[in-house]
Amino acid sequence: MLKRRIIPCLDVKDGRVVKGVHFAGLRDSGDPIEAARAYDAQGADELCLLDITATAEGRDTFLEVVQRVAAQIFVPLTVGGGVRREADVRRLMLAGADKVAINSAAVQNPPLIRRLADLYGSQAIVISVDVRRMPAKTGDSGPLYEVVIHGGQRSTGLEAIRWCEQAAQLGAGEILLTSMDRDGTRDGYDLWITREISRRVSIPVIASGGVGNLEHLREGLADDQGAADAALAASIFHFGLFTIAQAKAYLADHGVPVRPPEPPRALS
Amino acid sequence: MRREIILVDAHLGNLDSVERALVHVGATVVKSSDPDRIAAARALVFPGQSAFSARTDALVEGALGAAIRMVIERGDPFLGICLGMQLLFDRSEEDGGHPGLGVLPGVVRRLPADQRVDGRPLKVPHIGWSDVQPTGEHFYFAHSYYAAPEQPDDLMWTARYGQLELAAAVRRGSVYGAQFHPEKSQLAGLRFLRSFILGGRA
Repeated sequence: MLKRRIIPCLDVKDGRVVKGVHFAGLRDSGDPIEAARAYDAQGADELCLLDITATAEGRDTFLEVVQRVAAQIFVPLTVGGGVRREADVRRLMLAGADKVAINSAAVQNPPLIRRLADLYGSQAIVISVDVRRMPAKTGDSGPLYEVVIHGGQRSTGLEAIRWCEQAAQLGAGEILLTSMDRDGTRDGYDLWITREISRRVSIPVIASGGVGNLEHLREGLADDQGAADAALAASIFHFGLFTIAQAKAYLADHGVPVRPPEPPRALS
Repeated sequence: MRREIILVDAHLGNLDSVERALVHVGATVVKSSDPDRIAAARALVFPGQSAFSARTDALVEGALGAAIRMVIERGDPFLGICLGMQLLFDRSEEDGGHPGLGVLPGVVRRLPADQRVDGRPLKVPHIGWSDVQPTGEHFYFAHSYYAAPEQPDDLMWTARYGQLELAAAVRRGSVYGAQFHPEKSQLAGLRFLRSFILGGRA
């Protein structure tokens, strides 16, 4: 059967991991290549690299990072951040990305999703969706979530579930769903919207935003809670609070199907 | 002696990770899109990340397809990965229908979209790590179509997805196919590739 995935995510700015990755055995806390290698060795199911640089020089540096990370790991690599057009996707795929995450550009130009899925296959196209819960109004039948872009700075007026359904119809392979309300809070994923989208949309959903402990990972993945296919997290792994293996052991003990961690790699 | 593998470059995706994984387990890898070079290969690996399309028609009907068939008919080891495995079969239903190489009897079909599992739709594409039977090892899958071999003997490993037991790996003689991505499957994937370059696994 298909297992639920654990995906550590590295935010990269000007070639360095933002805020750093701090755990035993890591010499340079800001080096994305070392961090990626360490997560691969810990048994991460996949890695995510997000470029949060805004400059053209930073973009070139990020491409080099993607290339060097891809050359170190034997798990799938998802990259995103600032992907505007087909040429950006091509460069990242050539650098070794297995999947590319697209956010604002997909909202502003939905046919881009179809074009990219035709060119690279749905499995390579992740639509990154940042959502925010709307203030409740009388007469609402349930909570409403809006899609926001440009790092949450701009409203779109798009209803989150509707947008995810549309992205799936256009050929997206996965949804990377981030709650802007929860991001950085360590209060746990927004389970309501994660579950609604995972139950209604026919493509895999990666939960993101808010993980502070292992129970949050379990909630995000449990069928009766977040029901996500994969759990993305940054700080709980970066600060060495937990290893990937500890996260998997916890999930397995609590009934979430995960791939067991591997023994250290000795094959060469 | 290091085993020389010809990696078929049919311009169906980035080959770097497959090359790196093969080198990691001891192969010498030569990338080629030259049909003469490929026809002379003592061992062939054919990855593919794209889809059945007009491009695969050209491959199947052209010199590259003929070269691949020649290696297979001669009995030299062949491994198709993902689309490279699906292309071994007669045809695919993808994109309105396209022919395959016809090495193994069977059809490539779309994963069913109408199943529900634990309150959720069965997700298509099938993306992530699934265990295969009978070995129990986990491999990374990323696909929307699956091969349905006609001959049960061609089935090497299966993976359960929803109510489906799909072909995770196929084998006939020295012809192998993997629906999963061994180059993205950590130790299990490297083991699989090493067994292949050492002459196949029973």
